[in-house]
Amino acid sequence: MVKEVSEEFEPLIVAFCCNWCSYAGADLAGTSRFEYPPNIRIIRVMCTGRVDPTFVLEALKMGADAVLVAGCHPGDCHYQKGNYIMEKRFGYIKRVVERIGIEPERVRLEWISASEGGKFAALVREMTQQVRQLGPSPFRLISNSK
Amino acid sequence: MSKRESLIRKTNAAIEAFKSQRLRWVTGRSQIKVEIDEKRYQQVVDSIMKDEIERHMIIGAIKEKGLLTVGEISQLTGLQPSRIIQHIIALRRNGVIGEAGERNRQYLYQLI
Repeated sequence: MVKEVSEEFEPLIVAFCCNWCSYAGADLAGTSRFEYPPNIRIIRVMCTGRVDPTFVLEALKMGADAVLVAGCHPGDCHYQKGNYIMEKRFGYIKRVVERIGIEPERVRLEWISASEGGKFAALVREMTQQVRQLGPSPFRLISNSK
Repeated sequence: MSKRESLIRKTNAAIEAFKSQRLRWVTGRSQIKVEIDEKRYQQVVDSIMKDEIERHMIIGAIKEKGLLTVGEISQLTGLQPSRIIQHIIALRRNGVIGEAGERNRQYLYQLI
């Protein structure tokens, strides 16, 4: 039997989740049986403050259609100010992404606590939908057309 | 220069720019305190970001192709020759690139 390959675009989202809040939130979404699209690939980091701007750019370059950085709510950071550092840094990441010609909507920073499994699932659903509307990443388009 | 080359060149330059000490200082990595207002600070960061990305595009082009003239760098990166010369002055001063002879009466530049 010949397996049909779907031509429909399926986004690939790379998520950097902090160990203490967002990763636990994603875990809770799973254990609570909240349904969300399988388009997300989670990378656990100890804190969003650990996420270097180069990680986001490398992920996009390697074919991610969008990148999500998820951390603790302001004031809840396990390391006190890691998420504040990321919030400041994220503004620069967005501007650079825009400067190199990628839609800034492809990178997002969100706060998700360990008890917000529902919020995590809703965010992934919403983000997948948004990226589907944006279309494939320019890097993916280029590598496909080559 | 194809769209693919341009996008990859720009992204690589942005990655290298974020690794540079100059951009790390101003984007808060080193947590420096400055006594200027936020709007002015953002303008300074934007200007440094633009400079660093363009400089790393120039460095990337020389690293990839070897000896290059300003005109050739301009063709590869899409930057204006006047802008390239400004960056070359800064990069020469910092000891990153240097002159290496001439081609068609234009100076050739190489990485040091």
